[in-house]
Amino acid sequence: MNERVSRMRQATIETKPWLSIERAKLITEFYSQDKTSSIPMRRALAFQYLMENKEIYIGKDELIVGERGCAPKATPTFPELCCHSLEDFEILNVREKTVYSVDESARKIQKDEVIPYWRGRSMRDRIFAEMTPEWKNAYEAGIFTEFMEQRAPGHTVLGDVMYRKGLLDLKEDIAAALAKLDDWNDSEASDRREELRAMSTSADAVIRFAERHAEKAEELAAKETDPRRREELRRIAEVCRQVPAHAPRNFWEAVQAYWFTHLGVVTELNTWDSFSPGRFDQHLAPFYQKDMESGALTREQAKELLECLWVKFNNQPAPPKVGVTAAESGTYTDFANINNGGLKRDGSDGVNDVTYLILDVIDDMHLLQPSSNLQLSRKNPDAFLKRGLEIVSEGWGQPSIFNADMVVEELLRQGKQIQDARCGGISGCVETGAFGKEAYILTGYFNLPKVLEVTLNNGVDPCTGKKIGKETGDARGFTSYEQLFAAFREQLHYLVDVKVRGNNVIERLYAEFMPAPFLSLLVDDCIAKGKDYNAGGPRYNTTYIMGVGPATCTDSLSAIKHHIFDRKTISMDDLLQALAHNFEGKEKLRLSLWNKTPKFGNDDDYADAILSDVFNAFFDEVDGRKNTKGGCYHVNYLSTTCHVYFGSMTGATPDGRRAGEPHSDGISPAQGADRKGPTAVIKSASRLDHARTGGTLLNQKFSPQLFEGDGIDKVAQLVRSYFRLDGHHIQFNVVTADTLHAAQANPEKYRDLIVRVAGYSDYFCDLTPALQNEIISRTEQEALAR
Amino acid sequence: MTVPEVMAEVLKDQIFFDESGGGVTISGGEPLVQTVFVEALLAACRARRIRTTLDTSGFADPDVLRRVSGQVDLFLYDLKVMNSERHQRFTGVKNELILQNLKMLAERGCAIIIRIPVIPGVNDDGGNFDAMSEFLSPLGLRNIDLLPYHKLGSDKYQRLHLSSPMEEFEPPTTQQMETYAARLKRDGFTVRIGG
Repeated sequence: MNERVSRMRQATIETKPWLSIERAKLITEFYSQDKTSSIPMRRALAFQYLMENKEIYIGKDELIVGERGCAPKATPTFPELCCHSLEDFEILNVREKTVYSVDESARKIQKDEVIPYWRGRSMRDRIFAEMTPEWKNAYEAGIFTEFMEQRAPGHTVLGDVMYRKGLLDLKEDIAAALAKLDDWNDSEASDRREELRAMSTSADAVIRFAERHAEKAEELAAKETDPRRREELRRIAEVCRQVPAHAPRNFWEAVQAYWFTHLGVVTELNTWDSFSPGRFDQHLAPFYQKDMESGALTREQAKELLECLWVKFNNQPAPPKVGVTAAESGTYTDFANINNGGLKRDGSDGVNDVTYLILDVIDDMHLLQPSSNLQLSRKNPDAFLKRGLEIVSEGWGQPSIFNADMVVEELLRQGKQIQDARCGGISGCVETGAFGKEAYILTGYFNLPKVLEVTLNNGVDPCTGKKIGKETGDARGFTSYEQLFAAFREQLHYLVDVKVRGNNVIERLYAEFMPAPFLSLLVDDCIAKGKDYNAGGPRYNTTYIMGVGPATCTDSLSAIKHHIFDRKTISMDDLLQALAHNFEGKEKLRLSLWNKTPKFGNDDDYADAILSDVFNAFFDEVDGRKNTKGGCYHVNYLSTTCHVYFGSMTGATPDGRRAGEPHSDGISPAQGADRKGPTAVIKSASRLDHARTGGTLLNQKFSPQLFEGDGIDKVAQLVRSYFRLDGHHIQFNVVTADTLHAAQANPEKYRDLIVRVAGYSDYFCDLTPALQNEIISRTEQEALAR
Repeated sequence: MTVPEVMAEVLKDQIFFDESGGGVTISGGEPLVQTVFVEALLAACRARRIRTTLDTSGFADPDVLRRVSGQVDLFLYDLKVMNSERHQRFTGVKNELILQNLKMLAERGCAIIIRIPVIPGVNDDGGNFDAMSEFLSPLGLRNIDLLPYHKLGSDKYQRLHLSSPMEEFEPPTTQQMETYAARLKRDGFTVRIGG
């Protein structure tokens, strides 16, 4: 990287996140005044008020401009969704990990203006007020989590619209849709009109936001003494007057158009998993090619512009949660994820010059954000995969690797058009979506081992003694494994019902009270339908529930089947007693459960067949249920860091895991359960029917030596093998356990150590000790070939 | 284990063999001590088109070796010390049979990689490498892996409270290995260190 980028990179690493009250203050001001507009218009006008009044920041080295807060790392809050208490602010300010400093004036504004207005009005308050006791019991017991109590539905990725059209063009599309409204025959026409008007206003808001950057750049240019910088500022002003009002004409404008779009989406609401630029390499390729041919751009200049954009991503920490506890670790990462390679709309190889350019940028920048991935199709060249693996081998957790052909197959199974599927990819951690056309909403994690625990206790949560499930029979009376599994299915059915009933209410609350007109502008076919992103406007509307701990659940069932029903060496009563007492005084029993059970991850049919049963049981319960937006439910398997939380909420399990220890992550084997090396893990993982999911996550931790010599070729072969077996995703943590221990002991020396956590990378030192230990304990694969 | 049991394990990894060009390596001890099993396993692999490699010291019945040579895709063939007396001192047997067998395999056109375990003070003298080169060149054997002696086993001896019979020997340095490799490359061999 050049000196400018190096300075900016240093600054974004060193600047500490802090909480900016600007957004909360402006939003509260607006809502306190406007009492008459329709809900969509009120959202749009509030957004416009924000974009008109928020501070404009242009840093001295910047080429790509715009911040969500008033400065880099200034992190706004979203009180209309969830309103921080003063205690929250205090904890965020002082907790050991992922601190957001909160100054005195912010606390005062929060106390005097924000809390009084939003108490009882925030989405979080509305949601909890509507939930049933059954829902609350299961939620509090750690059966499932609920995404929308903290953040708005998001999980979408830009298609190619902003590279083809300006917001003014989209306003014309809106005008056309408005003109077509049929008030005589369409009972929803007036709702559609309000929604379309709101979209139009939100387009104005972002055009104005860009214009204000142009004004600021001109103002700075007038004062600038360095003629080179003066020229740059003039160019910035020119770019900001072109995009996003009009379609971009060149590479620089295309990058800036994306960034303004991104800022619009993440300022309007704090959408889950941020927002991502979609198939960035493919979208930018025509601009790159044209500028290179005309001589207007060199590869170095293009790289510099992208690196300036990377800094921008890293400047935006995730908005902090509410209801936080001091021990709880958050993450600064907001899950923007750059997809590279894959397929083109026509199904041909999508790797191009910009793909390799972006990989160089990723390699150069080594930043927490944005995350990045390879979309690897069988049609993509090995050179692309190996370039990616070179970066992986450096050991900071990026990029992760996806099976692009499988992503297409998953989307097709869900009923998408083939071209929409090919233009799709993944966002967040591993979640499959049709970019620019789908709202795919993750609604919460689901604790599979806990469901088994409740089953074994006849509907009672043994951690609290509270009845949270259904009475499915006293496990001591079960005479066969099949009987136990039937009870597990019944319990699962009941608890998924509870979750989905809650989701239905929450979906309608968002559809009614929290439209997202700016995001709706960008997603097909919200304009054509005159419907909001949160109300079924997109072409596809999917709701996900994420299964957590499939391996822990499988190993636990396997232990019961093997020891109690097949071999009859342990009685159910003994097992339940031992679990209730967390194996105290029963270490021998625990060790035989831990060591002498056929476990998932060893290419062992006994255990892997149980995994298929667990998979099918969860799939049958969830997949195909109708949501409230004309779409339906699907499953995926990722845990982010939730396997640690769910583990802490689950007592000892029959696989020999002690109470409170983490569950298995993603679809990876339970920590330490895989003993036959990575090929066996891959074989076992392929027993899941990935095509019937919306994403799965497989973590493998390798030491760096594994990539030396022809190691990259071997890892490449391993990846290709997994993908031939229809695996969805694989990622490699390349560090030695020694390094991690050293980092734990001397965090100050390892502040830049990034590890792959579970679908995203994070600074090792920002993780809680429990999560740190878990990463250390994941089986370290010593060598592939011997 | 029976041959079908071994094949069940082998076939689990077939997809990885497809991607990497790999297959089954039969190693030991000396696999040719268990002739019946090895021949049956090789035949079973051939029937399923699994590539096979046989890792042998060459100290085997020539008839057996001739029979399996048609079933094996690649030999990893140990060459330790060219002087037969010295060979006997360090391995317990003379090397004439080993050299004859190697010549026979080479003449039958088998694919062979020569593996030389390099132990300083035992077989890393210039004379030994000269003799190897002289023997291998006319046979048309071009591929050599130099395997540096290592002491990874000494910890195990300690844990078993046994004294290591190899305690007096030290591993060669990287630089030494490079020198030996260069020596052989000079005579036109393709040499890998490790492998």
